[in-house]
Amino acid sequence: MTQTRTNILSRLKMQQRDTAMPPMWQTQQGFDDLAEQFVAALTAVHGEPHLTPNLETAAQKLGEILTELGAKRVVCNDEVPLSDLNLAERWPAIQWHIVGQSTGDLRDFSATADAGLSSGAAAIAETGTLVIRSGPGKSRVATLFPPVHIALLPTNCLTTDLFTFTASRTGDLPANMTFVSGPSKTADIEQTMAIGVHGPKRFIVILYRET
Amino acid sequence: MTATVSEFRERATVAIADVRLQTALEGATGRFAASREAALAELPWADELRDHFKAMRAATLANLAAHLETFERNALAAGAQVHWAQDGAEACAIVTEIARRRGVTLAAKSKSMATEEIHLNAALAEAGVRPVETDLGEWIIQLAKEPPSHIIAPAIHKTKEQVAELFERESGRPQSADDIPALTAEARRMLREQFLAAGMGISGGNVMVAETGSVVLVTNEGNGRMVTTAPPVHVAVIGIEKIAPAWDDAAVWLSLLARSATGQPMSIYTTVVTGPRREADPDGPEEVHVVLLDNGRSHLLGSKYEEVLQCIRCGACLNVCPVYREAGGHAYGSPYSGPIGAVISPLLFGLDKYAALPHASSLCGACKDVCPARIDLPRMLLELRADLVEQGLAPTKEGAMEKAAAFALRYDKLWRVVTGLGRVGQRPLLKNGKLQVPDQFNPAGERQLPSLAKKSFHDLWRDGEV
Ligand code: SF4
Repeated sequence: MTQTRTNILSRLKMQQRDTAMPPMWQTQQGFDDLAEQFVAALTAVHGEPHLTPNLETAAQKLGEILTELGAKRVVCNDEVPLSDLNLAERWPAIQWHIVGQSTGDLRDFSATADAGLSSGAAAIAETGTLVIRSGPGKSRVATLFPPVHIALLPTNCLTTDLFTFTASRTGDLPANMTFVSGPSKTADIEQTMAIGVHGPKRFIVILYRET
Repeated sequence: MTATVSEFRERATVAIADVRLQTALEGATGRFAASREAALAELPWADELRDHFKAMRAATLANLAAHLETFERNALAAGAQVHWAQDGAEACAIVTEIARRRGVTLAAKSKSMATEEIHLNAALAEAGVRPVETDLGEWIIQLAKEPPSHIIAPAIHKTKEQVAELFERESGRPQSADDIPALTAEARRMLREQFLAAGMGISGGNVMVAETGSVVLVTNEGNGRMVTTAPPVHVAVIGIEKIAPAWDDAAVWLSLLARSATGQPMSIYTTVVTGPRREADPDGPEEVHVVLLDNGRSHLLGSKYEEVLQCIRCGACLNVCPVYREAGGHAYGSPYSGPIGAVISPLLFGLDKYAALPHASSLCGACKDVCPARIDLPRMLLELRADLVEQGLAPTKEGAMEKAAAFALRYDKLWRVVTGLGRVGQRPLLKNGKLQVPDQFNPAGERQLPSLAKKSFHDLWRDGEV
């Protein structure tokens, strides 16, 4: 084991050369309106973006979607802005599981929930991508097990592309960071696109312009 | 598996005679290739980006040991366990030992070429662990007990009727071949049970990021998220060459990977794993293991084949290769098929075992043109042909020529494609209107051959001019 490590590394070190890395790639991408680009990109990959003027209209949109889904059981990450919305009061007919607060098994609940709700750490305009991080109150299964994932976040989370995202990266990474760019899909049977293999079948992002 | 000249010839002949397979291969590779082109055309700076990527990959490999040590240090600091494996047997032993210690009997796997390479599934089964492939394509071929036939689309060769039949056998319920969404839903249902029951999730890794000790996994289906989330243990097996020093480098890598592979600007899910769940996390695996697989790679560093280590397994070279598009993946007798497979299989698994592969190419150069890292596969194929001669695996230089020609001459369709593209692809070898055959491929040394446009190689061969 340690012998293997030594062997491999010493073979590699024998070939070590002084080759400089090229200077960091600077993004060439530029968009007039990040939110509009995000909406266009996510729509193109069968995601469902909604752009709303403020948090209150975003919450209304969320309500419409939950009604349309006929959602009875919803799991929700404990994070802003969701934690400010008083979900249980707004939609008392729904059985809520708030991560880290509700009793009962998170995993079991998520496996049978109608939808999972989260915010996002960032959103990438170029590709219509949502970035989510694990952490206290932030479950991985809540956004993965249910057939629908709904994310709600302000437009100031938007960044141009992957390069601007990594360039602005600060601090340590969480145990899990996931970039989501649409609903789960496959083309493994005769190259025919089918939506919703293992991950959510619907991926809905509600962006709101901060006031 | 091996691919001697006669084995390759035999398997390719079968594939070429299979009309349905030919249609599937043509359709799938054509669609992939067209999507790739469209996706890169959206970036006016795609060529610069690829040049940048090439330089970055070359510089990373020049300092590979240092980057791996940085990765290891940061992964350990994040709580992951890092293992080093000299070869497939060591890697399999590491994984089965983790399974044994944790009492695992069921392992959910996401698609991984590295675990195909080391035959991990067989080792797991022997250790009493049932491995379940969860990428839909991988699962289909696992049910059919076949190897993958494409890096990105492993079940490219299967019809929906065959899939329905396999699912019927597995589920015990009737399945309709004409309803692909229903078949997908059935797979979702059956595999969801496996994810939830699995004691271990096994993945490969698309790239490691040294500066944070992270392993990055890319999938469209979400099985990569599942195997790193649902089971209590996650093991990632990854080749030592797949490393980016920093996140800025990983961004270049990721922005080229999906575009080159499927023509998507970004895959649906990119999962970044940095150690096991943290204390305050509501969920996630308790243990994360990274198995760094050498299996012959370190011997390539500093050799004339080092460039092949820049490969990111996007599959773009397969989709444009006239030989792959005719012969299909199984002809190569290796998990790695197409132009990249023709180079890397002999290098990792033995030139003697894969003696046919250096010749399974028309040297048309299409692979190099589409490669995100601009890897010169045709050059390395020629080097391998020279090695074949040198190592006495081809009796004489003439012998090698004869073998190559005889092999191609045997099947007409392939031969037409090979020569057809040869005429287009020969330009780099043309000198004053003559075809300058590289020395090691030319039995007459420096002699120049007439260009293919005047007289085909087929005719030259017949007329005894070569
Ligand atoms: S050789 Fe290039 S084109 Fe082929 S799989 Fe590797 S990176 Fe992709």
